[in-house]
Amino acid sequence: MVVYSFYIFDRHGKNPIFIAITQLTVSSGMHLQTPLATAPGLHLRSTDDDSKLVFGTVFSLRNMVRKLGGDDDRALLSFVSFTTSQYKLHYYETPTNTKFVMLTDLKSPSMRIALQQIYINLFVEYVVKNPLSPTEHTGGVGVNNELFEQSLEQFVL
Amino acid sequence: MSANKTSRIGEETRVDKVNAELVTLTYGTIVAQLCQDYDSDYQEVNKQLDKMGYNIGMRLIEDFLAKSGVGRCANFKETADMIAKVGFKIFLNVTPTVTNWASDNNQFSLIFEDNPLADFVELPDDGRAQDELWFSNILCGVLRGSLEMVQMQIEAHFVSDVLRGDETTEMRVSLVRYIEDEMPPEEE
Repeated sequence: MVVYSFYIFDRHGKNPIFIAITQLTVSSGMHLQTPLATAPGLHLRSTDDDSKLVFGTVFSLRNMVRKLGGDDDRALLSFVSFTTSQYKLHYYETPTNTKFVMLTDLKSPSMRIALQQIYINLFVEYVVKNPLSPTEHTGGVGVNNELFEQSLEQFVL
Repeated sequence: MSANKTSRIGEETRVDKVNAELVTLTYGTIVAQLCQDYDSDYQEVNKQLDKMGYNIGMRLIEDFLAKSGVGRCANFKETADMIAKVGFKIFLNVTPTVTNWASDNNQFSLIFEDNPLADFVELPDDGRAQDELWFSNILCGVLRGSLEMVQMQIEAHFVSDVLRGDETTEMRVSLVRYIEDEMPPEEE
């Protein structure tokens, strides 16, 4: 399985609070780097534009899913992933509107549980509970938390 | 979600425990220090406690969601149950009673039979603390902060406190509005 990129958006959504882009296969190790590499099969303009597009897509898709599914909030759970001919986009949203998005290759199984685990075991533990990290990651600074990045790297391996 | 199921989640969610007295004493020290810092201006102390609670709540909600694994509540009634039976249960190991619903279902009271924050406490005898200080005001802030993160703007305040000699400790919580999703910024 190949993970192309990974985004976290907070409830304001303006800027991703965390981006990781990789082009290595998982078996050979994933190397997280902030905005640089190009994933095969994905034509990236610039990371900035890209994350805006990703956000716009999941935002609209989720709203559409909710509208069509009735306003029952269980509908929140229904948008899990979508597939194109080149990649698969996995999506998980917490009730606090933090959105986790992962782009992988087509062969990957559902990453829903994995994204949930990332939220519960990594994001909450290392980012939210870190008393010195701000509650709101505004201004595009992002999470910038080494412990979180390291464990994410390990987790995705 | 049925009330029974809600209380089961509260019972079964496992959390690390700390010594209750440590919490009580730590919290007591904070309040005492605030009273000192603000020269017994109790209105200001209430305000600071609420603010501290707000900041705690914004983080605590994530921990709450991660631990309990519950989804969004369908209505405010469910929210109230969730707060009382799951939230307070897992974090303070008490279950306040939800009652006194306003007719529009947007306001309710939490009655605390047992309040671990206020064990061993006696309000200062300066003739004002009894009327002005809400000792456990941090809880109002916590609720406000955590519910804001799940798109509910609320207002919470204490209306009575056994520490002041009232019969019960009662907090009034009212829903102000549901917060709409923020739209993504316009494409320039």
